[in-house]
Amino acid sequence: MLELRLVQGSLLKKVLEAIRELVTDANFDCSGTGFSLQAMDSSHVALVALLLRAEGFEHYRCDRNLSMGMNLNNMAKMLRCAGNEDIITIKADDGSDTVTFMFESPKQDKISDFEMKLMDIDSEHLGIPDSEYQAIVRMPSAEFMRICKDLSSIGDTVVISVTKEGVKFSTSGEIGSANIVCRQNQTVDKPEEATIIEMQEPVSLTFALRYMNSFTKASSLSEQVTISLSSELPVVVEYKIAEMGYIRFYLAPKIEEDEEMKP
Amino acid sequence: MDSWVDWAHMYLCRPVTAHVCGLRAAKTQNRPVERGETKTEATRGFLRHSGSATARRAPQPPLADEMGIKGLTKLLADNAPKAMKEQKFESYFGRKIAVDASMSIYQFLIVVGRTGMETLTNEAGEVTSHLQGMFNRTIRLLEAGIKPVYSKREDATKDLTEAVEEGDKDAIEKFSKRTVKVTRQHNDDCKRLLRLMGVPVVEAPCEAEAECAALCKDDKVYAVASEDMDSLTFGSKRFLRHLMDPSSKKIPVMEFDVAKVLEELELTMDQFIDLCILCGCDYCDSIKGIGGQTALKLIRQHGSIESILENLNKDRYQIPEDWPYQEARRLFKEPDVTLDIPELKWTAPDEEGLISFLVKDNGFNEDRVTKAIEKIKSAKNKSSQGRLESFFKPVATTSAPLKRKETSDKTTKAAANKKTKAGGKKK
Repeated sequence: MLELRLVQGSLLKKVLEAIRELVTDANFDCSGTGFSLQAMDSSHVALVALLLRAEGFEHYRCDRNLSMGMNLNNMAKMLRCAGNEDIITIKADDGSDTVTFMFESPKQDKISDFEMKLMDIDSEHLGIPDSEYQAIVRMPSAEFMRICKDLSSIGDTVVISVTKEGVKFSTSGEIGSANIVCRQNQTVDKPEEATIIEMQEPVSLTFALRYMNSFTKASSLSEQVTISLSSELPVVVEYKIAEMGYIRFYLAPKIEEDEEMKP
Repeated sequence: MDSWVDWAHMYLCRPVTAHVCGLRAAKTQNRPVERGETKTEATRGFLRHSGSATARRAPQPPLADEMGIKGLTKLLADNAPKAMKEQKFESYFGRKIAVDASMSIYQFLIVVGRTGMETLTNEAGEVTSHLQGMFNRTIRLLEAGIKPVYSKREDATKDLTEAVEEGDKDAIEKFSKRTVKVTRQHNDDCKRLLRLMGVPVVEAPCEAEAECAALCKDDKVYAVASEDMDSLTFGSKRFLRHLMDPSSKKIPVMEFDVAKVLEELELTMDQFIDLCILCGCDYCDSIKGIGGQTALKLIRQHGSIESILENLNKDRYQIPEDWPYQEARRLFKEPDVTLDIPELKWTAPDEEGLISFLVKDNGFNEDRVTKAIEKIKSAKNKSSQGRLESFFKPVATTSAPLKRKETSDKTTKAAANKKTKAGGKKK
């Protein structure tokens, strides 16, 4: 038996819109601590990890650990039928092969039930160790989205370099090249507009912009984005979900294969 | 021209194995291959319309005419559905895959004899369809970020010489048939082409299939791509079908996991090899009247061919006289392979070399070749993308699915039912 009641239903809608471009099918895992998801894109280059803690739900009941395989496009279709102010409740019975999304209007004068068929998804779960990152950049999510969008009109990959001066995003393509430097900036009126760089040592990594652009779909969830970088590790792009948890995107870097480039 | 080669690829089975299987050869050769393939196409329609690739769906219907081990796909679909998984072509991104080159060369070549297309020869009138096919197909793999390594038999005529010396009549027969079409020239052409493209080629001492499997067992490659089911019998950890199918067909790749095959069938590898021999393999006959299902039952009951022979009702089943099942078993278990190969390397293409070889020597269109080289170079860039698995390792999940998974012993009927309601639906 599973029953999760989320007052801020729009949040779930935003989460779905943020990940459905990257992943088509995924298992949602429910446990006593929260509602989570881990899934990779089809080429196993990017991974999304979502956590919505139990405390963030108005009512959270999950009798045993279970997973529900869902097609995210179908789920998004159903969630789009919920109003932005609606309360969303996720319900499932043991042994059932469906999940129910219940939408309640704020005035309680309209209640909709959408029942979705579940899938049997055979997916690998990756163990992600806690790592110390060489550089952690915190910046406005809208700014990061803009940078990724702008750079992808010039090239396919972005080199993210963090130095004492700031964080540099650069690309090059057939028509030319582009460099965008964001300096540390904490002297703003609103904390969400700050750019904060914590650097242990300088780091520079190359990533495919296509994935970065897809990650920025989560910008509506959080004013700030945290980008954690280490050489030899996938980048983590994290959007905090207020009082609930986070959505984290991991992206494997591009690796220079010098020895193989020899003729 | 591309699509024509693709067409040929779809509609022609490899006759190589047919030659190898001695008595079975005659039957196989006379069979109308096209019909079997068309049937497969029709049944595949279901799969194409349904949901995603990562979700496990009803196993693909078996091929009417199967290469390698007779009826093994169907047997596995019915008895080990969890060992078969449909994957998107793109999901092999960054993976090293061993491909049986001999098979592909044969496929491209046989086309010419059948249709007499004049476009696929060079000025000197020499056949170039094998080059065309190999060139296009390899570029497709590279563009998907796959790192192919081709395994090719060492010159087949060499085997013939050895066979003559040893006075092995069967082998002479086998190899002389085999050399009818794929000449040393064709092999060398393809090898030269692949090397110019920067793709590694491994010389297999005997069967290319066996060599691919050995590379896979030794973790030199991630999987083996072939249409020949005996790749599993040779012990490839992962075996991919339809990887080399033309993209226009949009057939998902079918991945077989040999460890899961054994787990689901509840057999050891040795027993699985015996099962394959009983089903009917390329190396010896099978017992008349014993098909896949019966063979599986017998192996589960008795454990080995020897024990089955002791217990089998000799009046009911006729065991072929002089049945070299032990020899077949040895070929599967200890095939003649080499792992003494240099490190596999994918290098940048040799542009001048390719243009000289393809355009000057073989009359390819220069614009096309130049464009193709650009594709290889940009694909090279793409293959530098890392996979997450090289950083994070898989772990077991603790949560159980909401609905309990069905037990493994599904019947054909159950599988057929599932197909009709595929498409984002849990089984």
